[in-house]
Amino acid sequence: MKPNREKVAYVFDGSLEGFYTAVFMAFRDKTEPSRFLAANAGQQIPLLEQLRHAPADPALAARVDLGVAKRSGAKNACMLKLAFRSGQEDVLLLIWRYLCRLFDCPDGSFCRNMLDPDVWDVLQAARRVKREVHRFHGFVRFRKTADGFWFALIDPDNDIVDLLIPHFRGRYAARPWVIYDARRNRGIWYDGKKSHDVVLENKAFSLSDGTLPPAAVADDEEHYCRLWQHYYHSVSIAQRPNQRQMKAAMPRRYWKYLPEKQSGHRQ
Amino acid sequence: MKEKVLQKLRVLADAAKYDVSCSSSGSSGGGGSTRSAGICHSFTEDGRCISLLKILFTNHCIYDCTYCVNRRSNDRPRAAFTAKELAGLTGEFYRRNYIEGLFLSSGVMVSPDHTMERLNEVVRILRQQYRFGGYIHMKTIPGADPLLVQEAGLLADRLSVNIEIPTEQQLIRLAPEKNFSSVFRPMDQINREAGISRQERKKHPKAPRFAPAGQSTQLIVGATPETDFTILKLASGLYRQQQLKRVYYSGFMPVNSHDARLPALQKPPLVRENRLYQADWLMRFYHFRFDEILDEKNSQLDLQLDPKLAHALRNPQLFPVDLDKAPYELILRVPGIGVRSARIIMANRRHGHIGLSQLKRMGVALNRARYFICCRELPAAAASLYPEQIKQRLLKKGEGQCRQLALF
Repeated sequence: MKPNREKVAYVFDGSLEGFYTAVFMAFRDKTEPSRFLAANAGQQIPLLEQLRHAPADPALAARVDLGVAKRSGAKNACMLKLAFRSGQEDVLLLIWRYLCRLFDCPDGSFCRNMLDPDVWDVLQAARRVKREVHRFHGFVRFRKTADGFWFALIDPDNDIVDLLIPHFRGRYAARPWVIYDARRNRGIWYDGKKSHDVVLENKAFSLSDGTLPPAAVADDEEHYCRLWQHYYHSVSIAQRPNQRQMKAAMPRRYWKYLPEKQSGHRQ
Repeated sequence: MKEKVLQKLRVLADAAKYDVSCSSSGSSGGGGSTRSAGICHSFTEDGRCISLLKILFTNHCIYDCTYCVNRRSNDRPRAAFTAKELAGLTGEFYRRNYIEGLFLSSGVMVSPDHTMERLNEVVRILRQQYRFGGYIHMKTIPGADPLLVQEAGLLADRLSVNIEIPTEQQLIRLAPEKNFSSVFRPMDQINREAGISRQERKKHPKAPRFAPAGQSTQLIVGATPETDFTILKLASGLYRQQQLKRVYYSGFMPVNSHDARLPALQKPPLVRENRLYQADWLMRFYHFRFDEILDEKNSQLDLQLDPKLAHALRNPQLFPVDLDKAPYELILRVPGIGVRSARIIMANRRHGHIGLSQLKRMGVALNRARYFICCRELPAAAASLYPEQIKQRLLKKGEGQCRQLALF
């Protein structure tokens, strides 16, 4: 980081395009970003820092993305986009630092040494996002609605809901479903052929356990949910309890939308 | 009707829970969306992954194997599904994303052939009527007709035959109706037919697959006096000759009221089971041969030390390893360095010296590794200790070791 540069906080719209625009502006203006603020995340806007708004500009964002791909390959550009989805607080500054060093190094050799701390941290952030996508291939729970829809509520650490599309599209070929991210208030609606982004206005579901009102679910939904809860408790071997391992593999924060972990159904 | 299914589910899931082999990995795109890495959908209170609906078709059994909870002389509630019920249940669980597929096993009802026919029927309904593309793991019933085994192989992703007891003499003592040939005959058949199918598919990519996720087996540990050396030797042979994907080890659980032919245990031997899994990992991912882990003289795994550490302490001439120069196989032998770290070291050491901070970053267990590597920042003295001294230091520090192991 060069000394004596002006410290500026950049405000962007929360999208990758917005972020790359802010990055472009910071490079152009030779400032040192003190932080990147996603306007939609409801973060406190600091009073004492100088603020600059970065309205998303596809052309500028594309130049940053292209620069990354040129120096370090398309795969690495994808890795950075994955890291951007991380819910980790400091991730945007980590990516900024990574980009600074990458653009300082025309042959891109910098990012090939993954043991460099600046590279490692970004790789780890991307890795955690990928890992959560894999976890949610298992932790999504669909409920059948009365009108033949399948609905699932999730609350992941990272912004991954659209990364779940290929897996579930392949699994349930022509069936319509919605997977909704409760925290980020956006979801994916797959109509049996194509997927769409959705934001639900009337939230009929319960945010505390993901259930739908009884009138909205299909008749047999409750039955299969109960079978599953009983199954879950029947296959555990009581003589070898290991709660620690269970919680390490399935942290408590993921439990609220898993029917088998809902208390009150314990046997 | 609904209550009946619930009752059956409880009885038959409870009866299936002692079979530990239940991962869903290794089928590269059979019909639907089975992935090469297994997906866990939930984890039970005993820390194990739920990937498949693990269930018995029936727990009625004509056999009387002493180690089995479903033996005919046990007074337990018995139940049996119909093929349709079980296929329907699997389909509905799969649609809600509760499970990755079905793990279907069964007690032996009427005869092995009769039972195997029922199992095949369940899977046929799933695949053909429901167009079920999920993962299916089936047990083949020892003694069933080879034609039935063949049909099963064409429907399922993975087949398995449980050996249960590691030597034939002991198997016959505990399960008088079984012998090794009833286990190894189907195993060899599955291996043979899977090989033929692979060859065929090279010529015609549309040729039918036979058990594309291979086969596995389970060994019960601690019910009989076999040593760990015998068990690992058997497992190693199974991996090489029968080309098994996995051997599972299940610590003997005293599930029956006491039988004089079985040892009286209070608790299943969990630490020993864990050590066997560690040794199994060494054979499958760390290029160890079974006779490097144990030999006739040291025929039991050390319960205090993990097998890799024990190997390092018995072979001080291999160490210290220079991480900047040593070949991959040797780096893999350093206690505390795993496959992932070893790969990172190999890929990155040309960019610079591998130091302590880098090792820490990749998650190497330095408390163990430090005695077996040379590295500028480490005092040379650490790597020149005698094996006995290292052992004492590690045991003193690592009461944690034992606790950590009980985890598995």
